[in-house]
This record gives sequence, structure tokens and C-alpha cells, in this order.
Amino acid sequence: MTVKEFFKGKAFKCIAALLCVLLISGIFLTIMNSLLAVTDQERFDRAIKKIYGKAVKTEAVAVADYNSNATIEEAYKIKDDGNYLVKATGKGGFDNGTVTCWIVVKVNKGAVGGIEKVVIDSNSGQSYISYINDKFMAGFYGEYTAGQYFNPNEGFIKTGATRSATAICNAVNAALDYVNALFGNVTVDIYENCSYIENIDTRNTSHEATEEQVTFSIKTKSFKRAGEFSINVTVDKNGVITAYAITTDGSTAGYGKNIHPAIKDGTLFVGKNLAGIEAILDDGIVYPGDNAGTEISTGASQSNFLCLSAAAFAAANYEQFLTVEETPDDNEEGGNENE
Amino acid sequence: MNKYKKITLDGLIYQNPTFMLVLGTCPTLGLISSAFSSMGMGLTVLVILTLSNVIISLLRKLIPDSVRIPCYIVIIATLVTFARMFLDKFLPDLYESLGGFLALIVVNCIILGRAEAFANKHTVAESAVDGIANGLGFTVALTVMGIICEFFGKGSLFGYEIMTFKIGMLAKPAGAFLVYGICIAVFVYIIDGFERMRRVKANKLARENLLKEAA
Amino acid sequence: MGTLIAIVLSAVLTNNFITAKTYGICPFLGVSKKTSSATGMGIAVTLVMVLATLVTYPIYTYVMVPLKIEFLEIIFFIFIIASLVQMLEKIIQKLSPSLYGAMGIYLPLITTNCAVLGVTELVIGDMSSYLGGASMNIGWAVLYALFAGLGFTLVMIIMSGMREKLNCYKTHKALAGFPIAMITACFICMAFTVFSYISI
Repeated sequence: MTVKEFFKGKAFKCIAALLCVLLISGIFLTIMNSLLAVTDQERFDRAIKKIYGKAVKTEAVAVADYNSNATIEEAYKIKDDGNYLVKATGKGGFDNGTVTCWIVVKVNKGAVGGIEKVVIDSNSGQSYISYINDKFMAGFYGEYTAGQYFNPNEGFIKTGATRSATAICNAVNAALDYVNALFGNVTVDIYENCSYIENIDTRNTSHEATEEQVTFSIKTKSFKRAGEFSINVTVDKNGVITAYAITTDGSTAGYGKNIHPAIKDGTLFVGKNLAGIEAILDDGIVYPGDNAGTEISTGASQSNFLCLSAAAFAAANYEQFLTVEETPDDNEEGGNENE
Repeated sequence: MNKYKKITLDGLIYQNPTFMLVLGTCPTLGLISSAFSSMGMGLTVLVILTLSNVIISLLRKLIPDSVRIPCYIVIIATLVTFARMFLDKFLPDLYESLGGFLALIVVNCIILGRAEAFANKHTVAESAVDGIANGLGFTVALTVMGIICEFFGKGSLFGYEIMTFKIGMLAKPAGAFLVYGICIAVFVYIIDGFERMRRVKANKLARENLLKEAA
Repeated sequence: MGTLIAIVLSAVLTNNFITAKTYGICPFLGVSKKTSSATGMGIAVTLVMVLATLVTYPIYTYVMVPLKIEFLEIIFFIFIIASLVQMLEKIIQKLSPSLYGAMGIYLPLITTNCAVLGVTELVIGDMSSYLGGASMNIGWAVLYALFAGLGFTLVMIIMSGMREKLNCYKTHKALAGFPIAMITACFICMAFTVFSYISI
């Protein structure tokens, strides 16, 4: 077959037709693509619209963390009404997971006015996240008073996803802290420089002090499968624990009864000072659970560990909170702490 | 004019792509849990089908027979890509609710089927009418099933909540299969009934005519 | 290892192509009257899904993304799939006529099968929910395609078994054919819903 024949033949016609169709399609689509391209800004606006309910103009704000219970991911000032849109990842969810939320913080006369909306963006490992309903979210909405923190155990509808709810509360609290800080109201964490605070929810912990003793109302963080505990610990001026009472048992259903009785009624800790508590901690007999030959490993080692952490926290830090009569400065500080 | 009427009736009823030919089942089953997305899918297919029918009918003399299928696929893929860009730009809500099924319109048997069975043999006007009729048949069928599934499965219509009673299963693929199956059965039953009535009527007429002639 | 298990379980059971995604319904309803043909079709689809992913995923990530022509993905993918199917048909015909006799008739149908285009589009999209922490690469993509295909085959075989039994009974005239097949499929889907309780 000569070249001429090939060009006249059927094969050439087929190839030519197919190539023409392909070429025209390609050109058409390239033109359309440049005409109809959706810009990143447009996509972002759409995402914001979904959260905020209507199209709004935004301006990115620098991110900073003021609360160790959550991380602020992104923050925007909404130009239309001056409110802030904050994306925060709250820690302390189920199985050490996190929940990332978008939070619209209302601004009223140059200060935080309240929460307008909370929308869950994503989560890691929160298998019961679907239990979080609109009614639960509505618990956040409303007026805000200075120093207010949300606590999933108070004033919220029970959803069956307590741990995820904790993570969401942490995210919302962090967003409040962040926006407060933007207006210059940095919330000081009085327990920031204390030791043994890894498992203590310092935001929700308070104490009452006299010259003789300090009584802590400690709220622990969650630890793996164990939830938050509320524990009252009293330490005298010699550093010895004189009273220990669990007020809220945070253990996951079924494990509460496995907490060691000596921990439950506090007898394990009463009469011990920091060295005594550390001895229990160093033995590793509470956690990590080493069942061999110890009377404390009971099958609720994570809960046991949290209770022990609270005791260690109280015994280690009582000194700086003891009221000292002579210096009035310290008294003032004590007043603040008791808020 | 009778010709166009026949094409329209065929597309809408007698050869309804969803109920009679059972084509394009993937997007149907995947999207009828929501009336909005199923109607959106129907209208998207309607537009793409009409355009592809017109273009293929225009090009039917130019495209050699042996490369006809690849050419059709390229034309349809182009239209689908265009539709995807268009929806992403102007109707992002619909774009999101259609999800992966938007790209899968390319392999929707209805479009390639109509191109192969109708558009490459008929004039542009006829092909356009055929495209619109088939597309409408598909849209109406999808919307009806979408309304049924959404109403009972989610207790809402086009996203507006109506009642709290809901049968969750109907908003899942299992319910989509069930509703689709029952809808086909009902549709076929009704059409069969009409056909039988028409046949009886025609027979009666013929007999009367015969009797008249005999008389 | 965790990712592997997550992919296998989600591709075969929790996010099965037929029962959860409703991809590839045409062959599911059309070629499931007999177990032998359903098996042949399932294997053919799995084969094409794996090969198509093997070709389209690298082309998309290493050619189309750098050249910024992602918008042409549908044309590219459908063309690749169509030529792949054609080539496969010719190769099988040459190498093993007996296999061609068993599988060959299903191959041309596969070009317009949602499952194949669906899997190639899925693996270039957001797969983070399937992968856990791992990042997407060609290995996971092909693995996902393989197990999605096997999941497809599994449901095809279950369906064909049920339809073979159904043939022994008389159904109402209006329900015969597609309607009763769909109602059967509904029950399979319901059974597979149980797997959605697997959380990985």
C-alpha cells in the first residue's frame, strides 16, 4: 500500500475522524475549564457559608493557643457583624481521640458575647459521634458571662457520647479563651506551673486554702478509656493528705465497681505525703497494670491511675496555695483563685 | 406531527428508560433516597442526553462506522465533563449531592443506548425530541421514586421536614431496591392494563366493522 | 496491617460496591440469572478493575496532575478502560480460547460498567476514611480495586444463587423479571447492612 492509498483509505478516515473529535473536545473543555474554574477563595467561601448559614466576608486572624485542652486550627473575623469563626480541635474524646469543631463566637461591645453556633467538622475515632444532636449543641448557645466554662456533665442533655461531648466542650472553651485573648482578656491558668498536671483539668479545678490546709476540688482529664473524675482532696500544711473523696466517678460503665476499695474511700492516700504517693506511682502497680502480686490492680487500672494522679497533684502543689497571713498580696491571689 | 408524538410517547411511557427498559440503574438506586438529588440527576441527564443526541445526529454522516462507538463515548464524556464544571461553578449544592454519580453519567446506558439506537439513524429534530422525551421519562421516574423514598425514609420532601415518622431502611440502598422493584411492577401492571383495554376496544371495533360489512 | 484489614473489610463488606454504593448494577441485574455466568462476570469485572486502576492511578497522579489537566480525567479514564477491555479481549482470545469462551462474552459489556469507572474515580478522590492514617499510593489503590471487585463478585454469586432458586417458583406476572430481582437484591442489601456496624 502506498502512502497515497493510505490517505485515501478507510483507516485514515477513521483515525482522522476520531482525532478530530478528540481534539475538538479537548479544546472545548480547556476553554470551558478556564472559564468555569472555581477559585480557592470561592471554595472557602462555600465552606464558610455552610457553617455560617449565609454568605459572609471573612478575614483570617493569627492563631494562638491559650488552653491546653484544645488546639485552635484556624480563625476568621467575620466582617459583616464582627463575630469570630474559630476552628478548634478538642482533646479528651473517646479513646484519646479528638473532635474538630467550627465555633461561631458572638462579639458584643468589644467582648465575647456568647456562642452562636457549633458545627462538628471532623473527628478521630469517635464512634458515638452521631449521638451528639442539635439539642446538645444548643446547650452552648446563649449569653456568655466572663470566666464561664462549659462542662459536659452540667446543663447539657445526655447524649450517650459523653467522651465526644467532652472533646466538643474543650474545643468550645478553647475558642472562648482564644477570642477572649484577642480582646486582651487572657485567662490566667493558676495551676499552669504546678507539677503532676498531665491528667488534671486545670480549668475546672479549684481550691480553698487556710493557713492550716488546702482543699482541692480536682477535676481530672480523661485517660484512655476512663472518663473525668471529680475528687476533693485536703492536704495539711505538712503535705499529708487528710481527706480524700471521689465526688464524681468518671469510669466507663461497668468499670466503676472495679476501682480498688482503698482508692474509692481514699484510705490508700490518707496519711501519705508526696513521697508516699510517688512510691505507689513508681511501683507501677496501679498503671500500667501489672497484675502480679499487687493488691491495687483491679481491672480498672486507668480509673485507679486517675485517682492516684489527683492525689499526687494535691500533695505536690499544696504549698504554694497555703494562705500566708503576713503578705497581703498572696491573699489577693487567693481571692482570685476562689472565683 | 404524528411521528413526534410517537417518539415522545415511546420515550415517556412505552419505552420509559427507567421502568420499561431498566437502564441507568446505578444513579437511580444511588440517588433516590433524596428527591432533590434524584431530580437533579434526572435533569442533568435530560440536558446531556438531548445535547449528545443532537451532536451525534449532526455528525452521523461524518463519523465512519467502525470508530463510531469511541467517538460517541468521547462526545458524551466531553458533555459530562462540561456538566460537571458547570454544576461545580453555579450549583455547588447539587454538585455535592450527586457525588460520584455525576462522573458515572458517562457510562449511563441510556445515553449511549439512545445514541446508538436512535440518534445515528434519525434527523436532528427527531433526535432532539427523542432526547427530551427519554430524559423527561427518566427525570419523572426518578423524581417520583425520590419523593416516595424521601417521604417515608426521611420524613421530609426536598429537604423540608414534614413528619417525624420514618422508615430508615427506605433511605438506604436496600430501600431503593425495594421501591424501584415495586415501582416497575406497578408501572408495568398499569401499562399492561391500558394495552389490554385498547386491544379489547380495537377488537370490538373490528368485529362491528366486520358485522356491518357482512350486513 | 491495620490499614490492610480496614481496606479489605470496607471494600468487601461495609462499603460493598453493590449493597452500599450501588455501582455496577447493570451486570448485577443482567448477568445474575445463573451462578456460572455470575462468577465469570464477577471475575472479569475484578480483573478489569485492577488493571484499570493500575493504569489510571499513575497516569492521573504523575501525568495529569503535574500538567494540570485533571479536568480531562473522565475522557482519559473511559478511553483507557475501553482500550484496556479491547486489548484484554484480544489477548485472552489468543492465549486461552477456553477462558475466552467462559469470560469473553462479558468483556465488551464491562466498558460501560459503572463499577470500573467508579473505582478509578474513587481512588483518586478522598479515601482517608478507608485508609485510617496511611496516605494513598498505587499499592493501596490497586488493593482497594481488587477487594472491591471481590466484594462485587461475592454479591453477584449470592444473588445468582437466590435467583436460581427463585426460578423454581411462580411469581406474579407483574413482578416477574426485574421487579422480583430487585426485591431479592433488597434482602441482600439488608443483610449487608449488618456489616456497617463493623467499626475499624
